[in-house]
Amino acid sequence: MSGITSVLDIAAQAMAAEQVGVEVTSHNIANVNTPGYSRQVVNYETAYPELAPWGPMGRGVRVLNIERNFDRFIQARLDEKTATMAEYQAKSDQLEQVATFFNETQDDGLNAQLAEFWAAWNDLADNPQGAAERLALIRRAENLNDAFNSRADQLAQARQSVTQEIAPILEEVNTRAARIAQLTEEIQESEDGTQVNNDLRDKRQTEITEIEKLVGVSYYTTGDGTVNVIFPNGLPLVTGVTSFTLDYTISPTDTVDVTWNGPGGLVEHISSSLDGGKLTGLIEVRDTIIPQFQADFDNLAKEFIAAINSQHSQGVGLDLFTSVTGTYAVNDPTDPLNATDLPFGAEITNGTFQIFVDRNGAPHSNATITVDPTDTLDDLVNAINLSAVGADLTASVVNNQLNIVANAGTDSFGFAADTSNVLMALGVNTFFTGDSAYTLGINDTVADSPNMIAAGQIDVTTGLHPVGDNQNALALSDLENSAVITVGTDTLTVTDAFRRLISDLGLEAEQSATQAKFYQDQVNQFQAMRDDVSGVSLDEELTNLIKYQRAYQAAARLVGVADEMYQTLLSTKE
Amino acid sequence: MRVSMPTIFSYIQRNLQNLSEELFKINNSISSGQKYSSISDNPVDVGALLGLTTDSDQVSQYKRNLETANDWLAITESTLSDIGEIVRTCSVTAEQMATGTYNAAQRIAGAQTVQQMLDEAVQTGNTNYKGQYILSGYKIDSQPFVESAFTIQNPVMKLQPGSTGTAASGGAYIGTTTKTYVVEIVQGGVTGVATFRYSEDGGQTWSDPPVVTGAAVAVGTEGVNATFGGTWVAGDRFSIPVYEPITYQGDDNTLEIGIGRNSRLAVNQVGSDALGGTGGSTDIFDILAQLKSSLEANDPYEAAASLERLNTFQNQINATLAGLGASLNRVTIKNNVYDTLQGALTDNIAEKGDTDLVEAANALATTQLAYQAALASSTLVMNMSLLDYM
Repeated sequence: MSGITSVLDIAAQAMAAEQVGVEVTSHNIANVNTPGYSRQVVNYETAYPELAPWGPMGRGVRVLNIERNFDRFIQARLDEKTATMAEYQAKSDQLEQVATFFNETQDDGLNAQLAEFWAAWNDLADNPQGAAERLALIRRAENLNDAFNSRADQLAQARQSVTQEIAPILEEVNTRAARIAQLTEEIQESEDGTQVNNDLRDKRQTEITEIEKLVGVSYYTTGDGTVNVIFPNGLPLVTGVTSFTLDYTISPTDTVDVTWNGPGGLVEHISSSLDGGKLTGLIEVRDTIIPQFQADFDNLAKEFIAAINSQHSQGVGLDLFTSVTGTYAVNDPTDPLNATDLPFGAEITNGTFQIFVDRNGAPHSNATITVDPTDTLDDLVNAINLSAVGADLTASVVNNQLNIVANAGTDSFGFAADTSNVLMALGVNTFFTGDSAYTLGINDTVADSPNMIAAGQIDVTTGLHPVGDNQNALALSDLENSAVITVGTDTLTVTDAFRRLISDLGLEAEQSATQAKFYQDQVNQFQAMRDDVSGVSLDEELTNLIKYQRAYQAAARLVGVADEMYQTLLSTKE
Repeated sequence: MRVSMPTIFSYIQRNLQNLSEELFKINNSISSGQKYSSISDNPVDVGALLGLTTDSDQVSQYKRNLETANDWLAITESTLSDIGEIVRTCSVTAEQMATGTYNAAQRIAGAQTVQQMLDEAVQTGNTNYKGQYILSGYKIDSQPFVESAFTIQNPVMKLQPGSTGTAASGGAYIGTTTKTYVVEIVQGGVTGVATFRYSEDGGQTWSDPPVVTGAAVAVGTEGVNATFGGTWVAGDRFSIPVYEPITYQGDDNTLEIGIGRNSRLAVNQVGSDALGGTGGSTDIFDILAQLKSSLEANDPYEAAASLERLNTFQNQINATLAGLGASLNRVTIKNNVYDTLQGALTDNIAEKGDTDLVEAANALATTQLAYQAALASSTLVMNMSLLDYM
């Protein structure tokens, strides 16, 4: 039914519709900086036409709905890249930290300490009876120890600090998963099937994106507005209005065991199937990269100790022993030496070593002891006590370590020509103690009395050991250029092995940083694509504002026109 | 493409952030002088740098070792040269005294000179460098050459034609100075019949009256005796020297110093090989003692024999000195090689690890310009808004 009323009606509807436009525009402007906000637009349609004698007649405008500009495919790609980026970012951050412990680009790195250590052996070889050279060697060895120990400690601490980050991450994932479930519930309650709750959906999407930064998930939205968030192995984090939680324990093999707590007490271990997100990066750093690096570093330290000790145990210092106790203990003195948990037990071979006893500083007696790797420590003790030096020395097992004492105050003793490595394996007449980067230390015997540093060797034919003998110091300084460290299938010098370690770490850190940067660029690109669709442009909104304002003004004029029409009509009555 | 506010502002932020990071890195590399500040900056170059630094440290150490080697060789060379000088002086004395024109008193005076030279030779042989006796082998803490107790030496015989006399020295010396007894047969005949007299001053004065020869007959008053045998002819002479022989206390080990990878240089001379102290024809101390005794005994023939031995020894010491010279030369060459290598390594390290200031300053200027341009254009874009025209 057309008429002036109809004009008023159309104007009123138009004003209301344009007002919605202004409201939505102001909502957009207000949320220009809100993360995850998708720009909303009002969809208008012409009102249902009215049948009139002259055909269906337009009845103005009506608001169809308010739609958010959102491309779920772009968002899905963005979230996927975000997860990968976060994983590499976490890895890169942690590795960069570890790399600073080994920052060999600065002065006084471990490489420099190693060079100083070798130089000290050279200096000692130049002047084997020099007290200053001996003290300098001890000091430099101490510096080297500190360098090894502190780096090993820092590696362990880095691992520890990574572990401490796991719990807060899982807590955040659980909280956000619960929030998603709750938002889904609210969305279902607020939507009627034809209109969507834009703002709540944006919020829910933001929660998902935040989870992606922590742990990689995929998700799909069903027709009824619910969303399912699932892990790469198919286990759900959120299904509809239900969310599940994650938890972790440290496994017996010292790895992070992330567990998914499903319905009815169902528990699944999902560490191995995680992909993407900060959590995955951290677990990889903690359980794979740092342990691998620790193992390489420990291996370097262990073989370094073996090489130095093996040569040192061949020699003799300016002073001889009046008593000596091995630094390495066996589990059980009745077990074979090569099967009793000696750190260097595997190095023992069939061979011999010699003991020389001096009385009042002159050669007195000597004996050659034959060693079989399957001998027990008790066997070795008996062999020494029954040998030609048995009357002058007493060997025994003290705290599962080999102990040898000179019987008379006038006697002292030294070792020579050990082809069996047994002295090195038991820590007798050695320079270093320990068997890893963290436990590397200096044998108290030499640390307390630098005269015990074995720069010379006992002449096995005469039993003499003159102070000017530098043979052993020369042999020890030669180790700098000897390939003594086994790395994979290669045998390298200590310095080269350390250099490879540094290069590996540097490459790993560089690669993670490059990957993080690559994915960051991808994220930026997808973010730009998303903002292309969903981002608010103020110029656009201002244009729209004016558009709606003008339309509103025009509609208001319609009211005026209708009023004039009424007045015209009413005035005809007079 | 729709450009939205988040896009504009995040791009501006990101680009400015990238540029300021770049500026920071360049500035850091200029102020620290080092191209890399972390091993992840360029792991390959950093690894290579570590290797070069190690090589350079090692070269420095070998150069230090060479200094020690040089000190040892130089001090040994100068010691042996000094001994050579002593030998030459003694040769001159021996040559003079081997001629018949000198009398006993002059020869005894010559003997005193030789004794002084002998003492000098011992002192020189005991040269000590930084508390180390350089000729002792590994026993650097003890003097290589020491005087042992007075020893009565074997008789040096000068028999007349037809004589079958034999003599052996014996006894225990109780005197306190070196001495040479000259024994002369006064009346010939078989041992037990023949008589002899002796002199302690080279035959200037003689003991009187003559004593009958026999077994372990005292010669002088200081414990020296002689056992005679055979048939003597009047005028037969022999001399019995008494002196403190020099004995070698060191060992025969050669001290080596590392002067390169798997390269060692022997830097000492074993005293017993170079000088003696073990007796025999190449023992300079024994040669000089014998010379001295022959002069004390006023025996020009023995002096001539000593001269022969001195000449042989001179040749030996010259050969040793030539060997030392060759070693010193090797040290010099090695040092030069290391200097060159060190230079090359330093250049390499600088090239790989040090900031190229020209390049860095250039990059700094370029980045600065880019940063300023970015700031200017960002400000322009940020300031533009439709609001200004509404």
